[in-house]
Amino acid sequence: MSTPYYIPDQNVPLPPADADVITTACDYCIVACGYKVYRWPVKGNKVGGEKADQNAFGEDFPVAPLGSWVAPNQHNIVLHDGEPHHVVILPDKDAHFVNTEGDSSLRGGCIAQKCYNPERPTRDRLTAPMIRIYGMLQPVTWDFALDIAAEMGKYVIDKYGTNAYGVKTYSYQFMENTYAITKYALRSINTANFTFHDTPSDVSSTPGFRDAGFDNFGPAYEDWMNAETLLICGTDPYETKTILFTQWIMKGIQNGQKAIFMLPRKTAGVAYAEQNGGLWLDVTPGTDLLVVNAIARIIVENGWQDKEWIKNWVNDKWGSSSGFGQGTRNTPWQWRTTWGKFQTKGFDDWAKWLLAQDEFTLENAAKVSGVDAAKIRLAAEMMAKPRDDGSRPKTSVMIEKGFYWSNNTGNTQAISALGIIVGAGGRPGQVIGRAGGHQRGGVRGGGYPRNKSPMKLPGRRRRALDTDTWTMAGHTRMAHVIGTTWIQSMLGSQQMSARFHELTRGNPHQIQSINREKIIETLKARVDSGGMVVVNQDIYLVDPIGNQFADIIFPAATWGEEDFLRANGERRIRLYQKFYDAPGVAKPDWWIIANLAKKMGFSGFDWENSNDVAEELAKFTRGSRKDFNMVKVAARREGKTLHQKFREMGTNGIQGPVYMHKDGSLEGTIRLHDTTRKLLPDGPTAVNMYNKKLTHFNSQTGKCNIQKSPWSLFSDYWEWMKPKGDELWCTSGRANERWQSGFDDTRRPYIVQRWPDNWVEINTEDAKKRGIESGDMVLLSNDRVPSLKDTTLGVESSDFSFTGQLAKGNVEFSEAAVTAVAMVTRAVKPGVMYMDFLHSSQPANALAGRVVDWISGNYNYKMGIAKITKIGESPYKNTFRSMSFAPRDIVI
Amino acid sequence: MNMSQDVKTQSGMTRKQAAKAVGHKCLVSRRNFLIGAGVTTTIMITLNPGTPQAREVPAQISEYPRKFVAKLSDLKLNEPFDFNYPDEGEYSENMIVRMGVTAGGGIGPDQDVVAFNYACTHQGGSLYDSYKADTKSLGACPLHLSTYDLTRHGILISGQAYQSLPQILLELEGDDIYATGIFGLIFGRKENLHG
Ligand code: SF4
Ligand code: FES
Repeated sequence: MSTPYYIPDQNVPLPPADADVITTACDYCIVACGYKVYRWPVKGNKVGGEKADQNAFGEDFPVAPLGSWVAPNQHNIVLHDGEPHHVVILPDKDAHFVNTEGDSSLRGGCIAQKCYNPERPTRDRLTAPMIRIYGMLQPVTWDFALDIAAEMGKYVIDKYGTNAYGVKTYSYQFMENTYAITKYALRSINTANFTFHDTPSDVSSTPGFRDAGFDNFGPAYEDWMNAETLLICGTDPYETKTILFTQWIMKGIQNGQKAIFMLPRKTAGVAYAEQNGGLWLDVTPGTDLLVVNAIARIIVENGWQDKEWIKNWVNDKWGSSSGFGQGTRNTPWQWRTTWGKFQTKGFDDWAKWLLAQDEFTLENAAKVSGVDAAKIRLAAEMMAKPRDDGSRPKTSVMIEKGFYWSNNTGNTQAISALGIIVGAGGRPGQVIGRAGGHQRGGVRGGGYPRNKSPMKLPGRRRRALDTDTWTMAGHTRMAHVIGTTWIQSMLGSQQMSARFHELTRGNPHQIQSINREKIIETLKARVDSGGMVVVNQDIYLVDPIGNQFADIIFPAATWGEEDFLRANGERRIRLYQKFYDAPGVAKPDWWIIANLAKKMGFSGFDWENSNDVAEELAKFTRGSRKDFNMVKVAARREGKTLHQKFREMGTNGIQGPVYMHKDGSLEGTIRLHDTTRKLLPDGPTAVNMYNKKLTHFNSQTGKCNIQKSPWSLFSDYWEWMKPKGDELWCTSGRANERWQSGFDDTRRPYIVQRWPDNWVEINTEDAKKRGIESGDMVLLSNDRVPSLKDTTLGVESSDFSFTGQLAKGNVEFSEAAVTAVAMVTRAVKPGVMYMDFLHSSQPANALAGRVVDWISGNYNYKMGIAKITKIGESPYKNTFRSMSFAPRDIVI
Repeated sequence: MNMSQDVKTQSGMTRKQAAKAVGHKCLVSRRNFLIGAGVTTTIMITLNPGTPQAREVPAQISEYPRKFVAKLSDLKLNEPFDFNYPDEGEYSENMIVRMGVTAGGGIGPDQDVVAFNYACTHQGGSLYDSYKADTKSLGACPLHLSTYDLTRHGILISGQAYQSLPQILLELEGDDIYATGIFGLIFGRKENLHG
């Protein structure tokens, strides 16, 4: 961990002309900028000079703007083959794609600080497996730790069934790892007690997109630039997917694009759009659906919809009924539409429904959402009003978590319909998709065993098991947690933390011996008494899951410490190369899983290296958006390994799905659902696949489904959650300078200096009423955090509502309190507060209800509320070293 | 056939062309009264102490010049005044301003006079003429919108910079303000004293 005393170095060593140059991509956000690592030995004291021929960049110093300057934060010293080496890590100044002009954000720009260096704050990386003995984590050997985990795994599965073994894992940290983890959890163990880091159960994040037939990541980055009108819902890409903004959207805006932002907070990207002819729809949390449907209604009332597009590309009654080709009884779509609340007979039917809903009138939408009616009207015009010459604006729609984690099903259904009627989705510059959060590193090594989920209600389809309620109820006897905080990233976090404690450290059976048999005996007694064993696999000791609750710790090797594959938000797949030694005996997750699986007696885990895993998983990408099976075929033809073939592609990589021509050359896919794309006339050759999604949408007919989005499925929860008395909305999300839980940033002195504690933005008026000033230490409290006790209970459709669950007695209440430093600002909507979403000790998610979306099974994380009270002054109020209380919306 | 599709950027410019297009605008007001010149001395330091590779090498230790910048009484509230430091080379343009609020590293009776370098510590965009009196900030950088808080040692408010804006260390002697050093590496340079 780092202290906030950042003292910048006054000079940096430049890489000499003969330094090794290794390509990789950034480890952090979805954009996945290309990077170059310059590496040279410390031994010999060689450093590059300021003349172009004396350094590896071939540039004279001082360099020109955008040049290969090395900021002190871009240098580190690592071990490579056991010898100290300098590394300088810069965004690829020759990048052709993604981060053109060699751009990077602050997050990725300082990624050299991520590398393990025992003389820097990364010194607390996990370097050895550990077992908790007498309450303390003690280093042991891999063999010993894996043995105990395997014995306990077998015991729990034999005695309590596969669903007693829970796996909670990241979904993104490289394909080789996710493939190994899912092969182990879903195929070998075959547990339904499985989910990813950002959801309580293994379900689709954007149900509306799925129903409409849109892939989350169909668009190319250039589409976001080339749109003439761009509606961005629930995120400011400048803050969270920076280079997507600075290299693509910002250039679009400079070229005349009108960018419309819908979110309650104004950060630089929003302010920049407003400055340049765009709009800020300052929506109250949870009311997006009303604004979206009000825009749609204005468009329909004026006849501005893209009629040609709708005629050709929207399903009619017969098309919609043909479902998703998965059998009509067992699709998520079918399960939702049994109520007839979503499905339509096509555009006219949908429009009739839309116009009949009084809540979607402009007046009502403006009133409830708090967005000025004139702005909503203007947004409709910008998106769809034909020009005098009859031509239409090219309109695109981007969504992200502020939007789809507010009213998950409703918002994603509504935006899909709006996208369809403005003609977004199937043409260059006219696209619809997610902006993205993490990069896309998931490949499934097994299918989810839905038939084993006990969460089944009469007349309904089985739901994926909700791992939070399942664990809270004590059914998880062994929890295998991989690369996620689990607790703070879920909702009602403080209540969860208390229950985890009870099941682990609060249980009387604690290890008090280093004897293998005694340890196993103790842990068996723990699970037999209703307790839980926790195995935690991560790069740092995470609080509390690793630090307080885990019995066994597996240290993981990560970015730069192994060769890995991953895709970005435009499906571009690159090799993230190993360039230094992992700390201690830390191992990549695929290796840990493989060795654990073998000890448990599972077969199919005999990989020698990560390339072996990659070559096995390639065929499981077939038909997916990142299908790169043909890269493997091409590599074979050329006598290369798959990783080697990707290494040659450097930071360019290739966009999935990948096609191989007869001569063995490869062709990527710029965008999915590209209705303008001409495929080769003679069709796919050899083992190539032409997936329908290349040129059509993800539905049975290949056309879009236009669906209804009733407000009533969510409105009772929204009314109930809505701030009462002195409460305010307290929503959350990222801040530009900090990535995720801050696992790396808390070890970067400069970032710790900038953001030493969690903070809360509060509007100037709200603060004044409460006597709060910037720099005050405040308490955010919620004394009515609702949680579902059990999976959603009910039979009738009316049961599937917050009111229904209250009536069934399935909701319990708890309290939550989180401290923060107040930032009084004009840049957040009155009535709304905003926090960083994932500070380990000050978790904003504690303030939102642990209540899943009835239809999708996702949480609506952004729906937090709190009372705010001043408890004193933070040390930052009257000192100058740390933090800044200046607004984040200055753009001129 | 290309392995990937080569996407042209909107501007169609290469990085170097783009860099030229955003190069520093000329500064309008310069008043250079160079009092002291940079002094270079040679001393010996030990590299890799305690290892077999340890050896004594000559190190170049350069000293910052002490340079007259302005008279305190000439500084008007919230009106930045530009000067070059530590030399006349690339990225030597700085501003000094009396902000009317106490600031980290501020001098004068109200500790409200501070000076900062104009080159954005992200990728060298010019922050010239971007001082904001209401927020006591520099920026937004025209390239990627970074902003800096001048009351807090030039810390990044929002944006992409890899570190705070270099702060020029100031000393007050009577009514005369001198620049005596820099805290933080200036963009584009390998060392501050290598313009
Ligand atoms: S924009 Fe994202 S991928 Fe690019 S450097 Fe920043 S964090 Fe990394
Ligand atoms: S150069 Fe200033 S923000 Fe990028």
